[in-house]
Amino acid sequence: MSSNDPLKLIEQYLDRVRVYLPLDSEDAIVELQTHLIEEAQRIGGGTMTAGSAMMAIERMGDPKRVAHEYAGSGKKVGPVPAEYVSPVSRIAIILLAIAAAFMTGISLLGFAITDFAGIQNWPLSIPIMIVLNLVIIGGIIGIISLLDRDKPLTEKTTLESIFGLGVEGFRPKGRWDALGDVVMGLFWGIILMIPAVVILYTEAFASLYMLVVIYLFLGAVKGALFYIGGENNFNLAFEAILGVVWIAFAIVLVNVGWPLQYVYANEGAGWILFDLESFFITNNIPFMPFDWIWAFIMFVTVVIAVWRVIVSSMKISMYVRSGKGLWWQGNWGERRSLRTPLWKRVLGEHDQFEKSTERSDGYEDSQEQ
Amino acid sequence: MSMSKKTQDELDRWSKEVKRGAVTLAILALLSKKKAYGYEAVKLLDEKMSFLALEQGTVYPLLRRLEKRELLKSEWDYEDPTKPKKYYTVTEDGIAALGAMTQTWSKLSREMRDILSEVEK
Repeated sequence: MSSNDPLKLIEQYLDRVRVYLPLDSEDAIVELQTHLIEEAQRIGGGTMTAGSAMMAIERMGDPKRVAHEYAGSGKKVGPVPAEYVSPVSRIAIILLAIAAAFMTGISLLGFAITDFAGIQNWPLSIPIMIVLNLVIIGGIIGIISLLDRDKPLTEKTTLESIFGLGVEGFRPKGRWDALGDVVMGLFWGIILMIPAVVILYTEAFASLYMLVVIYLFLGAVKGALFYIGGENNFNLAFEAILGVVWIAFAIVLVNVGWPLQYVYANEGAGWILFDLESFFITNNIPFMPFDWIWAFIMFVTVVIAVWRVIVSSMKISMYVRSGKGLWWQGNWGERRSLRTPLWKRVLGEHDQFEKSTERSDGYEDSQEQ
Repeated sequence: MSMSKKTQDELDRWSKEVKRGAVTLAILALLSKKKAYGYEAVKLLDEKMSFLALEQGTVYPLLRRLEKRELLKSEWDYEDPTKPKKYYTVTEDGIAALGAMTQTWSKLSREMRDILSEVEK
């Protein structure tokens, strides 16, 4: 889908380049962005138009090649061409991390992996399955690439959209998400401590709930650290440690079972404590579904915790390799927008770049000219 | 006089080799005079070193490599938030390397000139 907005065209093109670059390449993207804007302004005689932006983009060339040149050290790995090594390894790691997260969650709930996967004739079936899947993936990629060959430089190919999921999966925590962690951590921590809530707990959960409260407050501290410092090794390590602690703690909590013995019920004159468990037992209704719900909640939280531990560990090793220390002012997940922010538009400050209309010859002049 | 294909191929191959050696020296020399950001460096090199015919695909990776080798250092300028600029300057190690390279290049040029003047006679 083509746009008349030169900045949007540049953003779309850089999104394509980003797919092929290693994770810690935001500086490279910003440098290329400045290059494209200045080149487009030069071509447009001081004004950037969609036409001049397209010409600057075309001069820069194929996003795959640009990323490969910029990253510099890409090497072919097995059958994977050098340009595809970064996105393919990111997607592979994401799939492995999801599998590991689910397997940990399932193990926690007591399912055996063999029951779940039902693999037979092991180990011969595994290499055969891998080879077959690689052939199928190769075929799919070939067909997708054929369908994508006529797309303009500013439009992501289908394959890049799939690879783009890898970039999204490793995006740093957004600043507002971090603030959300602070608010939610404090909110739920305080709620769980209110005496009127504490009396609802089962005996087993009542002996443990303060640990959950401490964990939630530590989650708020983590959010505050990310809000202040963005993504850096200290914050990632803190997040990974919290993840590991939660996985260990969840093993205990899942055995505690459904945490609420009572719920509040209104009996006309006022609120009374209604014994949930006794009601189900005396009326011969199995209480099991509540324990299942609790187990499912634990499963989801463990999957998220494992995912965070894996991603944080990977990012720490990536940052250490690039010579970073423990603490620095890191990035947040929000992508840098090239357009004028909303508050400036409200105040009447306009884009410094002029929009343009497309002509039949494919190039544009500014509307103001 | 038009060149044969063989001569053209040899010239291309030789030019590539000469450029490979010259480009690091050219970048260090330009940046030792004044700091420049990526786009500025590409344009400066294009303007002053037409023989090298450098494009951004060559200049940016080279700037990054020289920075990694600590011959250059960089600093971001966010004055214009839509166009943040990464300014490159030569480090002390870079200056030392530039001095040594310049000496070698001058010696090479002098000796080449002597040899070539004999060929031209």
